[in-house]
Order: sequence, then C-alpha cells, then structure tokens
Amino acid sequence: MNSIQAKGKWWLYLLLTIAVIAVAAPFIWMVLGSLKPTTELRQTPPTWWPQNPSLDNYTQLFSRLSFGTYFANSTIVAVVVTAGNLLFCSMLGYALAMLNFRGKNVVFVAVLATLMIPGVVTFVPLFVLVANAGLVDTLPGLVLPFLVAPFGVFLMRQFILGLPRDLLDAGRVDGAGELRIFARIILPLCGPALATLGILTFLGSWNNFLWPLVVAQTEKTYTLPVALALYSKGQNSTNYGLLLAGATVVVIPILLLFVAFQRKVIEGIATTGIK
Amino acid sequence: MRRTSAITLAGVTALALTVSACGRQDAASGSAATGKAVSSGAAKGTITVWAMGAEGENLPTLTKEFEAANPGVKVQVTAIPWDAAHDKFTTAITANKTPDVAMVGTTWMGEFAGMNALDPTPPAVDKSVFFDGAQKTTEVNGTSFGVPWYVETRLVYYRTDLAKKAGITTPPTDWAGLKTMAKAMQTKAGAKYGIGLQAGGTGSWQSVMPFAWSAGAYLTKDGGKAYNFDSPEVLKASQYYQSFFTDGIADKAAPATPTTEPDFASGKVPMFISGPWEMSAVEKAGGGAKFKEKYGVFQIPADTKSSSFVGGSNLVVFKNTKNRDSSWKLVNWLTDPKTQVKWYGMSTDLPSVKSAWQDPALTADDKLAVFGKQLETAQAPPSFPTWEQVVTSFDTEMEKVTKTGADPAAALKTVQKQAESIGTGN
Amino acid sequence: MSTATERDAVTIGDAQAGPTGSTPSSRKRVGSRLREGRAAWILALPFLLLFLVFTVWPVFQSLFMSFTDTKAKDLRTPFAVAFVGVENYTRALTDETFLRAARNTAYFVVVGVPLTLTLGLAAAVALDRGITKFRSAFRLGFYTPVVTSIVAVAVVWQFLLQQDFGLINTVLGWFGIPGPNWLGDPNWSMPALIMMASWRNFGTSMIIFLAGLQAVPWALHEAAAIDGASAWQRFRFITIPLLRPIILFVSVITMIGYLQFFEEPFVMTNGGPLDSTISMSMYTYKQFGFGNYGYAASLSYLIFVVIAIVTAIQFRLLRENQ
Repeated sequence: MNSIQAKGKWWLYLLLTIAVIAVAAPFIWMVLGSLKPTTELRQTPPTWWPQNPSLDNYTQLFSRLSFGTYFANSTIVAVVVTAGNLLFCSMLGYALAMLNFRGKNVVFVAVLATLMIPGVVTFVPLFVLVANAGLVDTLPGLVLPFLVAPFGVFLMRQFILGLPRDLLDAGRVDGAGELRIFARIILPLCGPALATLGILTFLGSWNNFLWPLVVAQTEKTYTLPVALALYSKGQNSTNYGLLLAGATVVVIPILLLFVAFQRKVIEGIATTGIK
Repeated sequence: MRRTSAITLAGVTALALTVSACGRQDAASGSAATGKAVSSGAAKGTITVWAMGAEGENLPTLTKEFEAANPGVKVQVTAIPWDAAHDKFTTAITANKTPDVAMVGTTWMGEFAGMNALDPTPPAVDKSVFFDGAQKTTEVNGTSFGVPWYVETRLVYYRTDLAKKAGITTPPTDWAGLKTMAKAMQTKAGAKYGIGLQAGGTGSWQSVMPFAWSAGAYLTKDGGKAYNFDSPEVLKASQYYQSFFTDGIADKAAPATPTTEPDFASGKVPMFISGPWEMSAVEKAGGGAKFKEKYGVFQIPADTKSSSFVGGSNLVVFKNTKNRDSSWKLVNWLTDPKTQVKWYGMSTDLPSVKSAWQDPALTADDKLAVFGKQLETAQAPPSFPTWEQVVTSFDTEMEKVTKTGADPAAALKTVQKQAESIGTGN
Repeated sequence: MSTATERDAVTIGDAQAGPTGSTPSSRKRVGSRLREGRAAWILALPFLLLFLVFTVWPVFQSLFMSFTDTKAKDLRTPFAVAFVGVENYTRALTDETFLRAARNTAYFVVVGVPLTLTLGLAAAVALDRGITKFRSAFRLGFYTPVVTSIVAVAVVWQFLLQQDFGLINTVLGWFGIPGPNWLGDPNWSMPALIMMASWRNFGTSMIIFLAGLQAVPWALHEAAAIDGASAWQRFRFITIPLLRPIILFVSVITMIGYLQFFEEPFVMTNGGPLDSTISMSMYTYKQFGFGNYGYAASLSYLIFVVIAIVTAIQFRLLRENQ
C-alpha cells in the first residue's frame, strides 16, 4: 500500500493547504466579522482582523433573543425531520432497489419527478393545506411537510443498488422475513449513505427560513433563522454585526454534526468491507 | 400497462378539475366604500398585531400604555422579519390566517386591498390630520383602508464643508443648480463623482420619480384609471436624470451593494438622495456625533415645484378580524399626536400626523425640519395592485437609459406599452 | 467484480429482482413474490402517505393553476378563475425576459456543473488516498462554503469581485491582466456567479464522492500499480468506472440544483446588470411576487420539463455499457 500511497507528497499538502485557506476564507471572515461592530464591517476596503475584537454582537443577540426557545424549536424540528427521512426514505429506497412489486416503476418515476419540480410552485397550496389542517403555528406544521423527501429515496436507492443481492437470498434461505432482512441485514450496511443523508437533511431543515416564517403566527414557534433575521435586517439597513454573529451561532451545530457524521462515513465503509 | 393506466388516471383527474373551474364571475364595479362605524367605549379582548423589524421589537413597550388605559384589553405583538415579510402576508391572507392589526408597507396596500383582505377606514377617522401624500397611500380605488402610521421621504444629502470648497454656500432650489453643484463637487472639491444616483435597476424609480413629480407629472390618467408613464413630464425627468450619467457626474457602474455612507464620509461621493435613516448611518460612518456639522440636507430641487417620494408604513385592520372595534381603537390611539411623538422618541420613525411635528422633540433638529417641509408636498405612486410589476419594467428601462445611453423617449414608450398590457389590476 | 456489474444497473426501472438460477416450485415462487410485494408496500407506506398528502396534492393544485389565469386575489376562491388552456405556456415561450433567463441558466449550467463536479471529485480523490494526515481538517475546510450564511458569502464575494481593490483583480494584476468590473459588466457577471456557485457547492459533491470512493477496492489499485499503471491511468480505468453510479447521482442532483439557481443572482446582482444574470427560478419567483400565480405556475412547470429532459439525457449518457 505504501508504494503507491502518497509518500508525504509535500507539494500536494501545500496545494491543498492553499486551497483550503482560499476556500474557507469567507467562513473565517464571517467568524472574525462577528467580533466587529457594524461600522467596521461597512468599511471599504474591508478589514480582516477586528480592530477592537469584542463579543458585543453576541451579548446583544443573546439578550434580545429568547435564544433557548428558538434553538429548541430548530433542534426538535431538524432532529425529527432527519429521523423521519432516514427511516422512511431508506425503507422505500430499499423496496425500490431490491424488491419487486406492482406499481414500483410508477412510484420511482413519481418520486424522481417531484424532485425536479421547483419548490416555489407548491409553496402556497401547501400552506393552504397546512392551514386548513389546523397546523399553523405548531411544530407539527413545521415538521410534517418535510418528514419525507424524494432526495432521500433517490440517494438510498442508488446506494442500496450497490449492495450484493446474495444477502437477500441468504436471508430468505435462513427463514428471515422480508422486513427482518431489511432491518437486520441491509440497514446496518447503509451507514455511509445514512450518515450522508443525515447531514444533508439536517442542514436543509436547520437553515430553512421561508416555511417556518410563514407557518409561525407567534414568536414562540419561530426557529433560529427566522428569529435571527428579525434582529439583523431592517427595512433600509442591515445590522451586519448581528447578522454575522447570528450566522456563526447557527453554523456551529452543523459543523459539529458534520465532523461526527463524516467520521462515520469513512469508518462505516471500512468496517463493512464492501469488497 | 399499469404505468400508463396510472398516468391516464392522473391526467383525467387533472383535466376534470381543470374543466370544472367555474370561470370568473364579473366583479361588482368597485364603488368607493366607507367603513362601518366603530362603537365607543374602551377596547377589550385580545388584539393580535404584526409589525416588522425594529417596530415589532419596540411596539410592545408602547402598547402597554394602551392596555393600561383600556383595562381588559390585551395587545399581542408578533415581530416579523422584513426579509420575506411580503410573502408572509400574502400567504397568510390566502389561508385566512391574518392578525387583527398589522403594519403594512405603503407599496403593498393596493395588492392587499385587491385581495379583499383589508377593512375600510371608519368614517369617524379624520383623514386631514395626515400628510396628503401619506393619506393617499391608504386609498385604493377611492376607498381608504387603514391609516398612515409613520412616514419617510427623500432629500438630497450633501457635505457642507466640501460644498463650501466648491463655492456653494446655499443649497440649490432648481434642477440646473443641482447639476452645477454636483459638477463643482467634482472639479473643485475633489470628489470622484458629484452625486450618487442609482443607475436603474430594482427600486431606482424611487430616485427618478421625485424628479418627475417635481416636473408636475401625474403617474395616472383617465381619472386615475390607467398608468401614465410616457407623459412629457416623466420624459423631462428621465432626460435630466440620464444627463448626470452621460456627463460623468454620477457613477454608471456603481456596485450592487451601495457604499453610500463610506463614500459620503470620505468625500468620494459627497451627495446622494435618500431618507431619514441615513442620518444616523452617515454619522456612524463619519466617526460619530461631530460629523453632524459636516453635512446637511435640502429638498428635491423644483422644476415646477419641489416634490419627493413619501414612503413609510400604514396600520391596517384585516377584514376577517374578530375584534374589529377594539382593533380600530388601537389604531386610532397609535395615530394620536401625543402617541406619535412618543413613538418618534422610541423609534425615530417620523410621525404621519402633521400636528405632531409641532412638538419640540421634532422642531429641535434643523435637518428634521427639512424632512417635515418636504413631506407636505411629497407624493406616492398609485396604489394599483400591479404597481410592483409595472415599475419593474420602468426600472429595467431606466437601467438601459443610464448605463447604455438609450433614448428615454423610446424607453418610456416601452414602459407605457407594458403597463397597458399588464393593466392596473383593479 | 459482482458488485461492479450490479452497481451499474442504475437506470430507471432496470433493477433486476428476484432470485435466478435454481428454480423452486412455482407455488413457492408465487408465495415468495406475494410476500415480497406485501413487504414492499409496508415499507413504502409511510413515505407514500406523507408524500401523497404534502407533495403530490399541492403539485396537482399548482398544475391546475397553471392552466388558469389565477392571480393573487383569486387564491381564496381557487375555482372562480378562467380556464385559459396552454395560454400561459405559450406566453412564457415568447416572453423575452424568460427566454433571456433561460439562456442565462443554460450558460450557468453548462459551465458550472462540470466545474463543480471536477472540483468536488479532485478534492475527494486528494483527500481519500492522496494524503494521509489532517484529512478531517481539510474535509471540514472544503465543506465550510456549503454551510456559510449566504449573506456572509455575498459580502465577502462582493469584496473579492471589486474592480479596483478586489482580491481577484489584484491577483490578476500580478500577472499583468487587468481585471474587469465583475459584477457591473454584463459580460463578466455570469462568470463571476459561476465561480461563486462552484466554490459554494463543490463541498457537497465532495462528500458524496468521498463516500463513493470508499467502496473502490484498494486491492485493484495495488494490482494495477504492480503492473506498472500510473496514478492517472489507475484513476481513469479503475476509479471512474466504479464510481459511475455515484457520478450519475451527483451529476443529476447538481444539475437539478443549478437549473434552479436562485440565491446567487438574487443576493449578488438581483438579476442585473441589464438582466445578464437573471435565472429562470428568479423570474418565476418575481412573477409569484407580482401575484401572477397562473403564469408563474406555468413557468415552474416549464422549468420542470427542462429538468426532466436533461435528467433523462444524463441517465442515458452515464449508463454503463454492459
């Protein structure tokens, strides 16, 4: 392995380091910017290091926001939506990849088709539906429309298609029921796919702005992005300091999740030893 | 085959639904309606209020006084972000999930009234206490919906110290004077561009229309039933506006995110046209309160008169409110002159009620007084539901006029044609 | 390798199912088929229920809307509208601004998708086996654009793209190239947005490719190296073919996303200058904002048709030849 492994290709490390600094620079600027007052942020040319770094933006944000409520709402919604997608999309993805049933092709085409429809066109009808169901200003109203998504089905189907079909036969020969085969044999092998789907779904739900804005009628149902927009964007001006502080706060759980899940993606494949 | 039969079923269902669309009933020709009267006595029950941004944050403090004066009433304010607020309102109206009272941008009135969502103003409300232009923003098709809450208007900001260097000691009052001043800023006071003007694009109408109104333009014709973009006055204003760009006095290639305040503070662009919120913004950019002496404001120069754009927000009561009387009582209380002055102190929002401007809190500041003077003659665009769509075409054409030197007359003809095909939406 | 051929059956409805080879008695076969079908429907049910209610029903409603002249004020009485047949659709096909938006979108997609995928794949390959240390740090670093707030992204990129002292033009200046007014010049605004979008999105492709690369057996690379294959040859003849299904997935997803690109022009240029960056999705959003619901719905479904055709083409192109 070592002969063709990168024997400390220093030039590659150098290239990658330059690349990652260039790529991550705006992110770093965002975090540094959260420590600056808005006047410094509006300066041209922009500054890099804060002239007088202070946590002022953060203290302002936390004192004005009922942070706990919004964070809890965002977390509950994102966790439930992610769990729902992981479970239900893998179930259908497996059925589409491995099982034969009537209407299979119709289902797959329908799922794929809705993936290609711009979300904006179903927004208002969806809201009217949710309103008529009495779910406005409720957490279920934030969760239910996103509990399953076609993206997850497509992703799981593609990954499961790559698993050996003999596993199914082996399971059947052993007398396992179809659902048991799915739960005990296939699902454990889907670690990397589930981890990837988990990150992407969580990210989408966590950053969702327009739907929570429209569904909430009172501030107790606001999620984090909605609440942060309240304090940072005015009618005619933007409070960049608060905006960047809010953006940094919002991004931290995502990064933590990313680090945790990415490890699972790599580890997962290595241990399952898919040839 | 199963797949085709499923698709056929779907297709037939869609078709059936489509064809069963009953078609439009002819709407009753909208005659001006007046609202129902409001009962007297204290307010009671719960009143839900939606307000955007800083107003949403500060309003609960003010409404506590209303609650104290009306025991038994509870005012529940929900603050809404400005970002996508318009979408929130339209979806809420569609699904019948509106509050009792809301703060609504002046340019949204036509649309919401057109959706039959707003309650007409009760006859007892005295409309003459408000600035004329602001009051007009509440009128859709002859009916007044809601009242103006706070207003803003646009003035020319200029660096007094650099103007002195350029040889200007009193602000100009006519179009020629404005151009001369801006040019002098470049030649004698070291400015890169004399004045910052928006080179077309979204919202540029708010910079161009003040000049059109100053030339005496009316944006509607046929008794307010149609758009009127290709009038000689609008043409005159467009040509004047274009000349700033062709003569190099304003920047054609200004960046998408304006750098107005830093450029103003540094003297790179020592003049611009904007509203009252810029006062604190330029002071912050200029280094604090001592910057106050270095700049001034003056009214939009006159061609036939001096006019500007009046914006701000109105307070509306929604038609399907369950607490109509108390809602209107709250609205009336918020437009009481004393409350308006108190609100100014809390939010720096300029009062829409003329008599509130007599209060020492507002007469103390000279710059503010200029805003007050301009408000008397400021105008608003027609409150047609299609205004936003039609003015987009105006903004697009203005971009061509300012950036590529296109012919203003042809551009305005195009805009007028578009406006006529889109219609007023009434 | 068995997994390779099975993984290659990634085309719509092509997945083979059911055991082959030994033939159990026909009754057992029917029984197992039935069991399979039942199990499949149980597995599919939760998704399908939610999907039908919250996705399919609104789709039908909006599709119906696209054949009428629904405006904002009609939304509360959705059936009291006039049926206009395909008038909205034909109007869209002659709408100058929409056609401009379509051309802009095509430009964006044709250049942006390959660029994003190349960057993502390059990063994934480099981080997979290219280096051994600090892999998590690099992975995280390359993923940060995906999670950075669009506003922060906009502020930073507007600075980068400044004509006078922006970083990009400064660097170009070192090589003696005078940089253009990126966001102010209609000819350079699109390239600027393509750069920004590729930067922003390659991280997502990267993590999906990384997951896919894990399944490429190292033993193959070793064997090939022993036979004298260079790194590039190994990449071309081992990695790429085995990665094909994932490439298809990433390509389709990225294409679907880019055909609907919205945030970049919305935040950076608002469709300008002179409509050079307006996208189909932005124009549709604007029409919804104006209250032209029937027309906007038809625009959305036109976008859908384009996406469907492009996706079908990709499935065809990236299908493995058996």
